[in-house]
Amino acid sequence: MTVLALAITDASGLDRLAAPPEFAGITAGRLHFGGEFCETLLPTAAGLKRALAAAETFGLAFTLATPIVSDAGLARLDRLLPLLPPGTEVTANDWGFLRRLRDHFPDLVPTAGRLLCKQVKDPRLPSAEWTRLQPHGIHAPGFTAMLARLGCRRIEMDVAPFATEADFHSPSMAVSVHAPFGFTTKGRSCRIGSLALPTSGKFAIGHDCRKECLRFQSAATRPDAATADLATVQRGNTLFYRHATEMAATLRAAAAAGAVERVILAGDWP
Amino acid sequence: MRIVTPISAAAEIAPLAEAGADEFYCGIVPPDWTARFRSSGVNRRLFGNFATYAELEEATATAHDKGCSLSLVLNAPHYAAEQAEAAIELAYRFAAFGGDGLIVGDIGLLAQLAERGPGLRLHASSLLSCRNSEAAALYGEIGAHRVIFPRDITPAEMARVIVANPATEFEAFILNDGCVFEEGSCHTIHLPGRLGGPICLDGYQSAHARVDDQPLSPTETDALAANDEAHRRWLWYRFSCGFATTEDGLPFGPCGLCALPTLAAHGVTAVKIAGREGNTARKVKSVEMVRAVRDRIAAGETPAAITEHARGLRRRPDLCDSDYMCYYPEV
Repeated sequence: MTVLALAITDASGLDRLAAPPEFAGITAGRLHFGGEFCETLLPTAAGLKRALAAAETFGLAFTLATPIVSDAGLARLDRLLPLLPPGTEVTANDWGFLRRLRDHFPDLVPTAGRLLCKQVKDPRLPSAEWTRLQPHGIHAPGFTAMLARLGCRRIEMDVAPFATEADFHSPSMAVSVHAPFGFTTKGRSCRIGSLALPTSGKFAIGHDCRKECLRFQSAATRPDAATADLATVQRGNTLFYRHATEMAATLRAAAAAGAVERVILAGDWP
Repeated sequence: MRIVTPISAAAEIAPLAEAGADEFYCGIVPPDWTARFRSSGVNRRLFGNFATYAELEEATATAHDKGCSLSLVLNAPHYAAEQAEAAIELAYRFAAFGGDGLIVGDIGLLAQLAERGPGLRLHASSLLSCRNSEAAALYGEIGAHRVIFPRDITPAEMARVIVANPATEFEAFILNDGCVFEEGSCHTIHLPGRLGGPICLDGYQSAHARVDDQPLSPTETDALAANDEAHRRWLWYRFSCGFATTEDGLPFGPCGLCALPTLAAHGVTAVKIAGREGNTARKVKSVEMVRAVRDRIAAGETPAAITEHARGLRRRPDLCDSDYMCYYPEV
């Protein structure tokens, strides 16, 4: 049976738990908390404690979502992880952080995030033929062996353009799928995060920002496009696409077939 | 510090070695791969590849004749099971030609090559997004001899990674080809121009909005417009200042020459010139620029003098002053 989770990136979005959404008649039973795309959005200890308390209040299981991190980010995570009860699930989108979890936090449950589960997700593709160019290897033996080596028993995926139900059938991993948005690409350089910076310092990496991504997002369109794109939005450093009707149907079919154990529904973020 | 240089033809090796290249890297899309998979997705790039095994064999021999090494890119972001097996077969064929190393972008393939590959040196590609010490340690644990840093990492961050992994070699970008997004997190295809080309070069228009559904204030509207204008300028720099060169052929665009003394001091083993698809003249000029700066480090010049020389190479200090043309502006 498919479980529904609600993804909240920032503690300011936790009030959404008061009215959790439904998907196919299922109410959310888990909170995915934290940002997958930017180290700056790692929660504070206070924010993480608030999220843990909110999950407990609403009777939700808890997952901490994390991004690619520098060594400074790893150090921040080292301070946050002891706040998690043993057995808590942690989604890692960084191979180094997965190693750290394996070696230093064996009481936590690692999951491979969607940044690690690579597949072609270009919202501009005119046909399924293009996905054949580089077929994904999410269920390939080499990749799943690496995940097993790092203690992962669950992966997170997106619904790629032209995805088929078979894409979600893993021989060895529980599969979680994000909906109704997939991510296409992300930068470390952040356009909106440069809003308050002087001109010469804009778009450089590693600077402090004012977390403008929590206030603004941008619809991205190609007026001269030769193809019909999926609806595309930029939030923070990341470009997302919204599932088309047939993609949502594919996800429902995969869930009905038992291939998708969890659907992670976007809360305060695409 | 070794200079790692792209090639797309064996004939490029001699002039590039003469200019100062120490290591070469190349890709191949062999006909049997295309026939088997109806795809040219052997590596990250659809263009700038050898088309035959004979070219790869000739390039390997030529590189060795010049005292240089040659690595083959197997740096597609991901390989399905069948493609991974074909990539391993390709690695064995390259080893039989005398090839030196493999640059690998898929962690599963990297591990498989370490376990049952032909024993060539393994370089963890920038597509594996090594931003921290643990990631480098993992790639070393799997079997990587060298880790190639992604573009979006600061020299200070590199230093921490290098210090924590003394048995591993590290390579950093030094010239050309600036991705807007992180290569290792980019799930797009560089489409043909008629379909938009690379997504970061595509003509996207942005309509900004507040996420609380309130209208943008005039102040916010103005700030966003100014930021967008700065971003357009930044993109121009990121894409080699309109893919231009100086009158004597030195390429503009993403550059870390000023940072070379810092990278050397941090223990970076090799610096990478990007752009397999570029023309030979661009590659030669790129190598010459890096070599000119490296020679000054070897001669014991001060970092300030080296920086002044690097900034003067293109005789366009105004472009350097923008900070937008730098891989490592913090240096």
